[in-house]
Amino acid sequence: MKLSAHYNRSNIIITVSVLLVGAVIYYFAINYIIQRQLDRDLTEEMEEIVSYIGSRHKFPVQLDIDQEDVSFNETNQSNFKTVYFNAPFRKSIKKDSDDDNNGRAVETLVHVNGKSYLMTIVISRESTEYLVQVIATITLILMVGLFLVLLLTNRYVSHDLWKPFFYLLQQLKAFSVSDHTNFSYSKTNVDEFNELEAAVLLMSSRVRKDYRTLKQFTENASHEMMTPLSVITSKLDILIQDDSLNPEHYKQLQDIYGATNKLSRLNQSLLLLVKIENNLIGETELLELDQLVLEKSEQFQELITSKHITVTTAIAQKTVTASGQLLDILFNNLFSNAIRHNIDSGVINISLTDEGFLIQNTGSLHPLNEEELFERFLKGKNSEGAGLGLAIVKSICNVYNWEVSYSFISSLHTFQILFAPGKV
Amino acid sequence: MKILIVEDEQNLRENITTYLNSDGNVCESSADLGNAIEKLEDYAYDCVLLDLGLPDGEGFKVLNFLKEQRRDEAVLIISAKNGLEDKIKGLNTGADDYLIKPFHLAELKARIEAVFRRKAANSNNNLVFNEITINLQGRTVEINGNPIILTRKEYDMLLYFIANKGKVISKNAIATHLWGDEMDMNDNFYFLYTHIKNLRKKMLDADCTDYLKSIYGIGYKFLSE
Repeated sequence: MKLSAHYNRSNIIITVSVLLVGAVIYYFAINYIIQRQLDRDLTEEMEEIVSYIGSRHKFPVQLDIDQEDVSFNETNQSNFKTVYFNAPFRKSIKKDSDDDNNGRAVETLVHVNGKSYLMTIVISRESTEYLVQVIATITLILMVGLFLVLLLTNRYVSHDLWKPFFYLLQQLKAFSVSDHTNFSYSKTNVDEFNELEAAVLLMSSRVRKDYRTLKQFTENASHEMMTPLSVITSKLDILIQDDSLNPEHYKQLQDIYGATNKLSRLNQSLLLLVKIENNLIGETELLELDQLVLEKSEQFQELITSKHITVTTAIAQKTVTASGQLLDILFNNLFSNAIRHNIDSGVINISLTDEGFLIQNTGSLHPLNEEELFERFLKGKNSEGAGLGLAIVKSICNVYNWEVSYSFISSLHTFQILFAPGKV
Repeated sequence: MKILIVEDEQNLRENITTYLNSDGNVCESSADLGNAIEKLEDYAYDCVLLDLGLPDGEGFKVLNFLKEQRRDEAVLIISAKNGLEDKIKGLNTGADDYLIKPFHLAELKARIEAVFRRKAANSNNNLVFNEITINLQGRTVEINGNPIILTRKEYDMLLYFIANKGKVISKNAIATHLWGDEMDMNDNFYFLYTHIKNLRKKMLDADCTDYLKSIYGIGYKFLSE
């Protein structure tokens, strides 16, 4: 549920309940005021009649045009407290009114010629009730109006209000530490969004700085390792010239050679990854991919023949704009993987179309874990490599927005590169 | 051959000197840029091995110095930087070759010889070793005057061996020379055996002395006699 919807909901609930409570209080307040007004009128009337009786010693004449209904009932009560109450108003304009309490009455004790009478004066409440009705209707209309206005404002105004937020969110989604595009401001005058933008900007620049430092470190560390590695290699090259070495020594030396070689390859791969991610790979050129693929299969011919691998190719013409150096590495890694992890007398299928490049090979009978496959330092149990080959492949594909994927199709390990992912 | 080694890492400098000296070369060395330029001002060399990352500046200054002085020393850059830009910059500034660290000394020796041969521009483009005559331009090989047909890899290997004659060369060094960095042959020397076996057989068939000796477990040696 969207924040605006949450906000809307509570807003509406609170507004409506406040309005309802207000309306109830309003109703009672008006009722009370009107009642007091009526009671004051009644008191006035009563005093008038009492003073009339006091001066004339007789009951006033009942007049029809008077909007009041006065009655006297003889009583033997000598003590009576004046009371006000709701009572039916018999002179109601609406003759068919069945409301028993459409009037307000006062009852008091009067003395006429030594006799006690209970005097009751009833006046109509209809006009005041009408007033209450009008007030209630207006309140209701106001409530509905407010409700609608709130709803519309929330829908349209909040959409505009949240614009900078969604703009920022969109940029955050596209954020990548290795990217160099900066966040752009949406120039809002909402303080919170400005603050958020500033915070995001600060965070992104800090993250990027950390990432750059880390990359710099990798690069420097790898570079610094190259010199000691060359010292080891050259020492070994000198050492093996010694005639007094026996086969057991040679075996040990060969192992050191192997390890040193692996280390320097690992270093070079790391440097390459850093370089690809830093976009430091030289110029791009128009390359005939079909030629490149053919050259590669030629280059790996020896390895292919030695493992008795059957290669089938389906290559269409295709040109791409890319760095020759990178594509060379890309195909080297894919080809050598397909051969290295192949079985004796296995099969390799290579296909190049306008949409993509596909290389399939026989090998282990179990599919590889696609999610981890392109991660760094992840390698098969029998692999001699450093586990960076496919990470490099993925990095190179990322540079050109190509999509590389792995699948296991009818016992064939399949690597596919799509040149224009999303279009197919 | 008179060689100047400009390299700040002492161990490496000494190893290169040891390896190259044993073949009758004279090596001198500099640990920094200033010393290297001083030496070059005073003496002439056949070849300069130049590290790019020196304590007092980039090795490119040496290249510029040689270019300004119109000197004809062959220059081989040895650098830890595996960047295409540095390579292109180096070669454009007058370097003859570019070798990336770490490298095998055998590879360095072969490169120096190749660079030197190119620079020397012999009217006679033949490399002669006892009964073996290699026509460098035509990439053909004659043994006792009889041509033998070698594949490209066998030819490369023969040149490599002759450049490092009398030295034990590790399998790793040969594999790296033949297949370069792109193919990791470390776990599989089978192809190397095949190529060496074929080369040896072709040479023996042409009544050549058996120069190629296998050094058990580590590599091969091309006898110098």
